[in-house]
Amino acid sequence: MLDLTRGQFVKHVVTHPFEGFEDLRWKKGGSMGIAFAVVCLLFIQQIAYSRLYGFQYYSDYDKIFNIVPYIFRSFILFGTWVVANWAMCTLFDGEGSMKNIFINSAYALIPYISGYLIGTVMSHFLIKDEYVFIQSIEIIGTCWSFVLLISGIKAVHQFSFGKTIALMLLTLVAMVAILFLLVLLLTLFQQVIIFILSIYTELSYRLRV
Amino acid sequence: MSSFKKLLSLVTAAALTASAMAVNVSALEAYDPYSYDRWGDPVASQAGYTAEKYVDGEIIGCGNFFEPADLFISHDDLMYIADKGNNRIVITDLDFNFIREMKEFSYNGETLTLKKPTGVYVDQYTGNIYICDTENDRVIKCDTEGKVDRLFTKPESELYDQSLTYNPSKVLVDKAGNVYVIVKSQTKGAVMFNSEGEFLGFYGANRVEQTAEVLANAFWNLIATEAQRERRAKQTPIGFSNFDIDDDGFIYTVTDSQEVDTDLVKKLNPRGDNILDSLGAADMTFGDIPPTYYSIYSKKSSLTDIDLGPSGELNILDFQHGRVFQYDKECWQLFIMGGSGDQLGLFLSAAAIESHDNHIYVLDSRKNNITIFTRTVFGEIVTEAANLYNDGKYEESLVPWQNVLKYDGNYRRAYIGIGNALYNRYEYEEAMEYFKISISRGRYNRAYEGYRDQWLKANYMKAIIVIVILIVLIAVYRKLRKRGKIVYPWEKNRKAGV
Repeated sequence: MLDLTRGQFVKHVVTHPFEGFEDLRWKKGGSMGIAFAVVCLLFIQQIAYSRLYGFQYYSDYDKIFNIVPYIFRSFILFGTWVVANWAMCTLFDGEGSMKNIFINSAYALIPYISGYLIGTVMSHFLIKDEYVFIQSIEIIGTCWSFVLLISGIKAVHQFSFGKTIALMLLTLVAMVAILFLLVLLLTLFQQVIIFILSIYTELSYRLRV
Repeated sequence: MSSFKKLLSLVTAAALTASAMAVNVSALEAYDPYSYDRWGDPVASQAGYTAEKYVDGEIIGCGNFFEPADLFISHDDLMYIADKGNNRIVITDLDFNFIREMKEFSYNGETLTLKKPTGVYVDQYTGNIYICDTENDRVIKCDTEGKVDRLFTKPESELYDQSLTYNPSKVLVDKAGNVYVIVKSQTKGAVMFNSEGEFLGFYGANRVEQTAEVLANAFWNLIATEAQRERRAKQTPIGFSNFDIDDDGFIYTVTDSQEVDTDLVKKLNPRGDNILDSLGAADMTFGDIPPTYYSIYSKKSSLTDIDLGPSGELNILDFQHGRVFQYDKECWQLFIMGGSGDQLGLFLSAAAIESHDNHIYVLDSRKNNITIFTRTVFGEIVTEAANLYNDGKYEESLVPWQNVLKYDGNYRRAYIGIGNALYNRYEYEEAMEYFKISISRGRYNRAYEGYRDQWLKANYMKAIIVIVILIVLIAVYRKLRKRGKIVYPWEKNRKAGV
């Protein structure tokens, strides 16, 4: 039973929201490479959504392009999710390793990404009145991803349903805390760098005289 | 050899003339003409008007003005200047030949004089002159001889708060002879009299801007007692500062305020409702669009005067930057001209604006003169195109709009105009291109809908055939795959192992 390749496991997981991740766990069918490719796709999807969407629906201020928000919305948010989830769930006897959380969360994002990518492609063929088609695909993709994410986190930690939901909410809180600390850290480092630079400037003036 | 020299000098002369003409056509302005793009960013543009000359009291021959406050051009092409500092009304023709001045008025045998008049209006139906005699607290209605017919003084009505001062600053009269007076101390709108001088009420008050402070006050008022509420500060709107009336009886008001954004420009119907809503322009920013980034150097426009041009253009005067903003009757930005400074075309204290034919007259109360702007060739083309466009003659406006683009490739509205003309001709694909350049999504959507229909009609059979072939191919592929006839190289090992 279920002798699937790693590639085939992706399809199996996405199309079997309830037992897919359990199978993945027992068969150890997850692939870090595919998971990372999915996160890269998330990054591409974020850019496509704001840059390549059909002109009749949406056009962004195109005089400047700043890539940082897109990196934040894909890589950094996803990374923070993984770290925060691992940190919280380990405290509450979760069994998942950081690698497995990464794989499961990334696989769970596939319907969301493909829903929005399909929507982006469709937006070039439909007119405004037909937006409901695009919207429904995007909403279905998002909901599906949400269900997969719950199922994935539940399977990776071997939690009950209620505990999974509670810990996902806690994970969100932890993410906010981590991001806050990151910003704080960056600001402090900036101060330190400025301090060192000013000492250097001061010294270089003194030495010249 | 001499013939060659002659030829050379001729060529040089021709080149000089040509370059001189070129300078005249686009006239070197004392400021950089600009307009706004889709995002509200200023972009360089061509001058729609050029400052031709200025005229002061000496040139007119009536003695220098002193802090003139208002300008009005009557239906019989006379210009009335309210010379506030000299307590007189100066009347000239449009070539600025002095005709007469009004200083003294006879009223039931007495002689009345003016004290700081700040507003003048001539009723185009009766020819009566209305003067805001500001510091004498009255509006004078007289005939051209200076015989006073009636005085409009502070209404003795319960509706009118008697503790407020009554210093009329601007006046106008509608078709029915109703008189509207702007009083600075009054925030309920213009004070309205009928032709008999009876007080009718207030007209067209501004709304209070919805800010967080207003909401908080509404909350505190809700829980306050009656006595507390009495003592709380009232939320009052800002009264409008100037107005003008068009031939259909719509009154346009401007509000001079740096604090609020609501109701700065309004078009009021006789009931006092703002009908700019129906144009989708109620929330539009008139005057300079503030930059999105914070800057201590950028100040908000303060709109002091409004004037209606011959084809319904709105000329709005910005006191803060000394600029004139011209909009067409659909509130599309046409031109921006002026600036602050001493040179011709710049203003120190722009006080009033009037327009006649293709001229705009701006009165400056510190320079004590009137600057005359004349429409340029570019301005003529844009105006023609805009008028055709506003009358719904999109196809006729195609050529003028194309000419506009030859002068100014930044002129966003020209792209929309061309796009609409092409759209009406069913040339959807080209229309889409123009709508895309002008970043107008709604129009692009309509053009795209038309384009897609055209495409489907033309390629219906082809599309069906392609879809059928695709379905068949997919079916065949799945069949073969199931039977194991198609095996991808990376699957070979596993298949062999099983």
